Amino acid sequence: MAQKEFSVVGKATPRIDGFERVTGKAEYTGDVQLPGMLYARVLRSPHPHAKILSIDTSKAEKLPGVKAIVHSFNTQVTWASGGLTQKRMIFNNPVRYVGDAVAAVAATDRYIAEDALELIEVKYEKLPYVLDAAAALKSDAPKIYPKGNLSVGDGRVTAPIREQWGDVEKGFKEADKVFEDTYISKHVNNAQMERRVSVAKWDGAKLTVYASTQGISNARGDIAKALDLPLSRVRVVCKYMGAGFGNKNQAQDYDMMTAVLAKTAGQPVKLEFTREDDFIGMHGRWASEQHYKVGVKKDGTITAVELNAITNMGAYRKQSGDLTGCDFYNIPNYKKVVSPTHTNTVVAANYRAPAYPQSVFGFASMLDQIAFDLGVNPYDMFLKNRVRVSKGKSQFTSNEMEACIVEGAKKIGWQEKWHPAGASKGAKLHGIGMALGGYPFRLGLGAATIRLNPDATAHVIVGVVDIGTGAKSTMAIIAAEALGIPLDQIQLASGDTDVTPYSIGESSSRTTSFTGTAVIAAAEDVRKQIFAVAARELEAKPEELDLKNGIVFLKSNPGQKMPLVKAIRKVESEIIGRATTNPTWPEGFDGKCFAAHFCEVEVDRFTGQVRLTRYVAAHDSGTIINRLTATSQVKGGVVQGIGMAFTEELLIDRPTATPINPNYRDAKVPTHLEVPEIEVLFVDASDPYGPFGGKPVGEPPITASVGTIANAIFNATGKRFKELPITPDKILRAIQV
Amino acid sequence: MKTFENVDVKSVKEAVGLLQKFAGEKKNAAVVGGGSEYLQLMKVRVATPDYIVNLKTIPGLNYIKEDAGGFRIGALTTLAELEEHKGVQEKLLFLSQAAGEAASPQIRNAGTVAGNLCQRPFCWYFRSASHVCLRKGGEICYSVAGDNRYHAIIGGGPSYIVHPSDLAPALVALDAKIKIAGPAGEKTIPLEKFFVTPQVNARRENILGPADIVTEIQVPAPKTGSKGFYYKARERQAWDHAIVSVATVVQSGSGAVRDARVVLGGVAPIPWRVPKAEEFLRGKAIDDAAAQKAAEIALDGARPMKDNVYKIDLAKNLVRQALVASV
Ligand SMILES: Cc1cc2nc3c(=O)[nH]c(=O)nc-3n(C[C@H](O)[C@H](O)[C@H](O)COP(=O)(O)OP(=O)(O)OC[C@H]3O[C@@H](n4cnc5c(N)ncnc54)[C@H](O)[C@@H]3O)c2cc1C
Repeated sequence: MAQKEFSVVGKATPRIDGFERVTGKAEYTGDVQLPGMLYARVLRSPHPHAKILSIDTSKAEKLPGVKAIVHSFNTQVTWASGGLTQKRMIFNNPVRYVGDAVAAVAATDRYIAEDALELIEVKYEKLPYVLDAAAALKSDAPKIYPKGNLSVGDGRVTAPIREQWGDVEKGFKEADKVFEDTYISKHVNNAQMERRVSVAKWDGAKLTVYASTQGISNARGDIAKALDLPLSRVRVVCKYMGAGFGNKNQAQDYDMMTAVLAKTAGQPVKLEFTREDDFIGMHGRWASEQHYKVGVKKDGTITAVELNAITNMGAYRKQSGDLTGCDFYNIPNYKKVVSPTHTNTVVAANYRAPAYPQSVFGFASMLDQIAFDLGVNPYDMFLKNRVRVSKGKSQFTSNEMEACIVEGAKKIGWQEKWHPAGASKGAKLHGIGMALGGYPFRLGLGAATIRLNPDATAHVIVGVVDIGTGAKSTMAIIAAEALGIPLDQIQLASGDTDVTPYSIGESSSRTTSFTGTAVIAAAEDVRKQIFAVAARELEAKPEELDLKNGIVFLKSNPGQKMPLVKAIRKVESEIIGRATTNPTWPEGFDGKCFAAHFCEVEVDRFTGQVRLTRYVAAHDSGTIINRLTATSQVKGGVVQGIGMAFTEELLIDRPTATPINPNYRDAKVPTHLEVPEIEVLFVDASDPYGPFGGKPVGEPPITASVGTIANAIFNATGKRFKELPITPDKILRAIQV
Repeated sequence: MKTFENVDVKSVKEAVGLLQKFAGEKKNAAVVGGGSEYLQLMKVRVATPDYIVNLKTIPGLNYIKEDAGGFRIGALTTLAELEEHKGVQEKLLFLSQAAGEAASPQIRNAGTVAGNLCQRPFCWYFRSASHVCLRKGGEICYSVAGDNRYHAIIGGGPSYIVHPSDLAPALVALDAKIKIAGPAGEKTIPLEKFFVTPQVNARRENILGPADIVTEIQVPAPKTGSKGFYYKARERQAWDHAIVSVATVVQSGSGAVRDARVVLGGVAPIPWRVPKAEEFLRGKAIDDAAAQKAAEIALDGARPMKDNVYKIDLAKNLVRQALVASV
C-alpha cells in the first residue's frame, strides 16, 4: 500500500526530550527531592510460605531517625492490580514467596531505614510450599490458595485459558504426519533500567504521588480506591520515566506503602527499591511448559494444532498467563488449553508482549523442526503457513506478513546462506534461522486537548507517560501533522493527572493508536475553529480551506492565504480543541502488526559460546510515525530477546526457595557486545484504522526474536534446544564429540 | 549499606598501623583500592565494616616499572592501565588481554590490580545476605545441595567457590611474585603461594592477615622462546567472570617444550596450576594429540557436582586450544 505524503510523519525525528534525557537534566521520579523527605525500605519474607504470627517493631522504633513502620498488623490496604483473581494486600499474611513484602520503614536516611529492617522481629510459622508449576498441579501439592494452585478465573481472566476453532481431531486425520514435542521457557525479569521508586506527599487531605508508572490515570484510580480517597484528592505525576516493560502498569504496592508511610510520619516519603527488590519484589515474564501436537501435510501445510501448557504465575496472578505464539500462522483447526498455575515463587505477569516470545520460541521451534523432518526449507514452511485469517475467522484490517517474510529473507540472503541443519563443519559452526511474530493492534479510548496559542504555537495536553518509547515525540509529531504547524512549535504537557486528560496507560502497544487518534481529532477541532474565522477573511467556505506549515489557504488556490497567527487573532486569545475518541472497526475484523525476523549465528564448537553475527527484523507496523524511535523500539525488543534466548533466567535455589541471581550481573542481561548490528526494515504498509495509517511497534519486536535465534542455533549445530535459555553448557553437552 | 567511616591514608605504614589499631579494638575494618568489588558486598550487607581504609590516597602506589628483570606493578595500578601499557602489550600481550577480559570498561577504570587479586568470590550464595555460608562463618556451603553450575570442579571442599580473578591465572603462569606489607614489615612471595585452599581456610581466599596490604606485583621478564595465552569462556562478552579460563606459558627451543605453565581459572577455589600437565609437556613437541593428552592430565582428578560437569570438557578444550596455539 502506498504511503500518503506527509510533512512531519514518517521522518527520522530525534526525540523532543532527548537533550534533557541524555544530559541528565530530566527529572525522573528518583530525582524528586522534597523538603523534609524521608527514605523508605521494604522488609521481605525469607520464607516461601509462612504465616506471620507476630511483628515486633519496638527495637526498630527506638533507632534514632526511624519515623514510621507499616506492616500487615497495622496497615490493611488492598492492592487491586496486584491480584486479579485473589484479594491481595500490600502486606499479606500468610506470605507466599521469598520476597513477599512484610513491612516498610521510613527514616531520615536510607541507611537508617535499612538498619531498622534488621531490627524488626518477625515470628513465622512455616507452611509447606511448592516451587514447580507441574508439581503444584498434583493433587497432593501444598495448597497456596483454598481452591488449589490452578489459578481461578474471574471476569477478566479465565483458568484454564481455552481457545478453539475448527475441529482438531478432523485436522489430525487430514494430516500426513503428526508431530508432538514439549518446549520450556523460564522466568525472566523485565530488568528495566529505572528501579522502582515512589515519592508521596500529603497537603492536608490531598495526596500527591510522584510515581514511576506506565499509566498515571490507572495509578490514580488504584491509589484512590486503595486508600478510599476521591479521585480529585489524588494527584499522580510522572514526567520522565525510565522504563518498565509492563511491570509498572497501574499503581503497585510500593506506591501505596509510600503514601501510608508519608501519612503516618507526617512527612513526604521516598520509597526506593534496590535492584534485588526489583528482581524479586514485582514480577517477570511467566515461565511455561508447552506441549504441542501439530498435524501437517507432506509439503508442510498445517492441518491442526493442539497446545496444552502450564504457565507459572508465582504466588499471585496479576495477568493472563496466556501463550499466544500460534497467532502468526494459518491454523484451520486449533485447540489450546493453558493452565496458569500458582507456586511459591516470584510473581510472573506482564513483560513486553507478555504471552508471545516464550510461546513463539516453542511454536516456531516446533515448525522449524517439522520442516527439517519433512525436508522442507524453513523459509517455505513459514511462508506457506503464515497467518491470513485471524483466529480462524476474522479478516485483518491490514496484513503485510508476506512482505515481511519476503523482504527480510532477501535482506539477509536466506537462499544463498541457508544449508540443511547440522551441515556446518569446523571450529565455528554457522547457522541461519527465522521466525514470525507480531502483536495485536487495537483501537480504544483516547483523549487529548490542544491549546493553540496566539503566536500559533501549540500545547498538546495528553495523559501519556513517555516510558522510553518516544511517545512524547510521537504525540507531538502527530499533532504537528494534524494541525499543519511545524514540529518545533509544539510543546507537550503530559504526565500529571491534575492537568492532563485520561490516558489508558502506556502499555500493550496502544499509545499511538489510542491517544494518537484523539490528538488528530483534537487537532481537527482546532482546525475547524480556525477555518470558521479564516473563511470569512478569505471569502471561502470553511471546508474549502487547508492549513499547512502555519499558513491557512484555499485548497483550490493556495495563493489565497493568510498566516495562522492572523487567523487566531481574529478569534480570541487562544483556541482550545479537544477530543475523546473511541473508534472501532466493523464486526468481523481484527487488527495485528506483523514481523519476520532472521539471524545468523556462529557457534564455537570448543566452548559452546554463540555469537550473533547478523540480525534482520522486518516489520509491518503500518505507517511509521517516527522512523528513529520506531527503529530503536525494534532494536530494544530484539536485545531483550537475545537475553532471553541466551542467558536470562531467574534462578530459585531449591533447598532455600530463594532467588539467587536477582541482579544485573548474575541475571546476565545482555550488554552491547552481545548485540550485532540489527538491521530494521519497515515494509511499505498503512492501516485504514490507525492514526495516519500507523499500527503499534512497541511490543512486536521481542516476539519473534527468541524463536529466530533458537532456530539459527539448530541450523548451526543440528541439535534442537527445547529449553531456554540456550547457554554454552547446554550447547557444549549437545555437540561435544 | 551499613553506615561506616572512611579514612583516607597517606602511606602504607599509616594504613598498616590503622588496621592494627582497628583489629586491636575488635573493629571491623577493610582496605579498598578502587572499591569496585568491595562496595558491592557492602551494598548487599554481606560486608558491614565500621571503617574503610582508603588506599587510593597513598601517593606513589600506582606505577608500572620495567627493567631487565621484568615488570613491577604498583598495587593501585588500574586494570585499564595494565591492559593499555605499551611495554606489557609488547612483551606480555596475554597479560594485557587477561586484564582486558575482566569485568567491564568502567570497572577496569576503577578497579586496581591488587583489588583484583584480593576480590572475594562471586559465588551467589556468598553474595546473598540471607545465605550465611561457610565462607561467612556459617555451617554449610550452599552450593553442595544448591545450584552449582559455576562452582568448583577441582580442589573444592568444604567450600566450593571458584577464584574469580582473570589476572591471577595469567600472573601465576608467569611466575609472578607479590609484595605484602604488614605489622612485621615487608615480604615478597611467589603469587602461587598467596592463595589458600578452603581446606586450609574456608573463610579466606589468601594469606593476608587483618593488617596486611598488597603493595606490588613483580612479573619476571619472559624467557626467550616463550609464548603465553589466556583464554576465557564466559556467557556474556563483558561483565562476566570466567566459567573456565586457562593461562599457558610455553617456552620452546629446538622443536620441543623446555618449560611450561598451565594454570586454570574458574575451576577451583584458587588459580589452579597443574604441574603434572606441565611435566608431561616438557621435552615434547606439541601437536594436537599431545595437547589433548596434557588437557586430560590437567583435569585428572576433577570431581564435578551435579550442574557443572560441562566445565570439564570446557576446560579440556581450552587447554588444548591454548597449547596448540603455543607452537
Ligand atoms: C560486576 C563485576 C564483574 C567483574 N568481573 C570480573 C571478571 O570478569 N574478571 C575479573 O578478574 N574480575 C572481575 N571483577 C572484579 C574486578 O576486577 C574487581 O572489582 C577489581 O579489580 C577490584 O579492584 P578494586 O581496586 O576496585 O578493589 P576493591 O573493591 O577496592 O577491593 C576488593 C578486595 O580487595 C581488597 N584489597 C584491595 N586492595 C588491596 C590491597 N592493596 N591489599 C590488600 N587487599 C586489598 C579489599 O579489601 C577487598 O576485599 C568484577 C567485578 C564486578 C563488580
